[in-house]
Amino acid sequence: MNEKELMKQWKKDSIRIGSPTNILAALTAFLPVIWLCTTYHCWPPVSTILTAWGMVAASFGAFYFVEPISYYAALGMTGTYLGFLSGNIGNMRVPCAALALDVTKSETGTIQAEVVSTMAICGSIVTNLIGTTSAVIIGGAVLAMLPEFLVAGLTKYASSAIFGATFGNFAIKYPKIAVFALLIPVVLKMFTGLPAAAVIVCTVFGTLLIARVFYQKGMLAS
Amino acid sequence: MSNIEQVQQASNSPILWVLCGITVFVSVLQTVLYMRQCSKMTKEARIDPAIPKEAFRVGLISAIGPALGVFIVMVGLMASIGGPMAWLRLSIIGAAATELSAANIGADACGVALGSEQYTLLCLAVSWFTMALNGAGWLLFTGVATPSLESLRNKVSGGDMKWLVVLSGACSLGIFGYLNAGEILKGVGNTLAVLTGAVSMVILVKTVCKKVPKLMEYSLGIAMIIGMIFAVGYDQLFM
Repeated sequence: MNEKELMKQWKKDSIRIGSPTNILAALTAFLPVIWLCTTYHCWPPVSTILTAWGMVAASFGAFYFVEPISYYAALGMTGTYLGFLSGNIGNMRVPCAALALDVTKSETGTIQAEVVSTMAICGSIVTNLIGTTSAVIIGGAVLAMLPEFLVAGLTKYASSAIFGATFGNFAIKYPKIAVFALLIPVVLKMFTGLPAAAVIVCTVFGTLLIARVFYQKGMLAS
Repeated sequence: MSNIEQVQQASNSPILWVLCGITVFVSVLQTVLYMRQCSKMTKEARIDPAIPKEAFRVGLISAIGPALGVFIVMVGLMASIGGPMAWLRLSIIGAAATELSAANIGADACGVALGSEQYTLLCLAVSWFTMALNGAGWLLFTGVATPSLESLRNKVSGGDMKWLVVLSGACSLGIFGYLNAGEILKGVGNTLAVLTGAVSMVILVKTVCKKVPKLMEYSLGIAMIIGMIFAVGYDQLFM
């Protein structure tokens, strides 16, 4: 098989695994609440649930679409299924996949890149599961032992530092684009009252547009 | 029994671990299936078998730092929504902030505060429905629409592979620019973490890792630690 056929096969297999598992997880996530209501006879009125659903959709609804679209280029097809089932996309999945592509010198768009980013994301999911599961078992005891500044550091700054580091890693390749990628959202957030989802859309598409102009003018070193 | 005790008891019932475990298992199953797909493709495409192994290790190691953050957040979340639900929500899609907002919105819809004496089992049920419905938004969209996203990307790239590489980089920069902007606007400590994290990564990749390629695997972890040291140091000195 040539690369093109392999890629076709890869995508077919990805959908066959990812689509049913993501939909299944959406459904099984309701099991605990169904058990709760049945056991304790505390079914809430449908209108209350709908009100709550409306409120939560008003806060996060746009992200259901904006995030998968924006992350798609970085995650690829398999990565999108994996990432949106296991979560922690910005702080774990994308950084791990991007680093693995660098370490193995895999080129975006090749079958090797697909395998590499998938394996890296799988590795990070294993670590995450160990983390959450051990938090259940020993979490309280460990937290009581850690000095306070360390706990504060991890809860307040771990995300900032990993976001910064990942941005730095992408910025090495495209420093000119990076300037705009950071400037657009900072300005939008400081000077406009745009909702978060709109800021993401403007940032991603604004950056993409600038990248296109630079690319066409040959201003990007390849 | 007071409402608070009832809610505490119900949300930490042993059987809930099993029920939450089912969804966690679906995630594990997906991971295992994709790893099998990778090993199949590695053979078919004649990729050096060392490469996917290396990639897996990079993922495993680089996730340690962020996973420590999740670990601590999880302990906090366990106190407010109970152990099994915290485990479920943080093992699948969902960040602590999102889940807490959803739980709070559920309480709001009942007209009470999360964890208060008025927060009954019925309110708990509304909170849990809200979290499940919210999470389902991402899962159903990706479950159904991911193949269309692929066509979208192909359309935007127009078959130009070089542009596709730039496009992927630009999208990633855009999304991380957005994430960093949010952190920077939180305050000086976070800004320091972002900047020193970014600068250390650039220096590591451009100098140290060139000489010691093995270090590349750890670069993200090291940069994260440096960023955190600066931010915590600032807090200790000036706050």
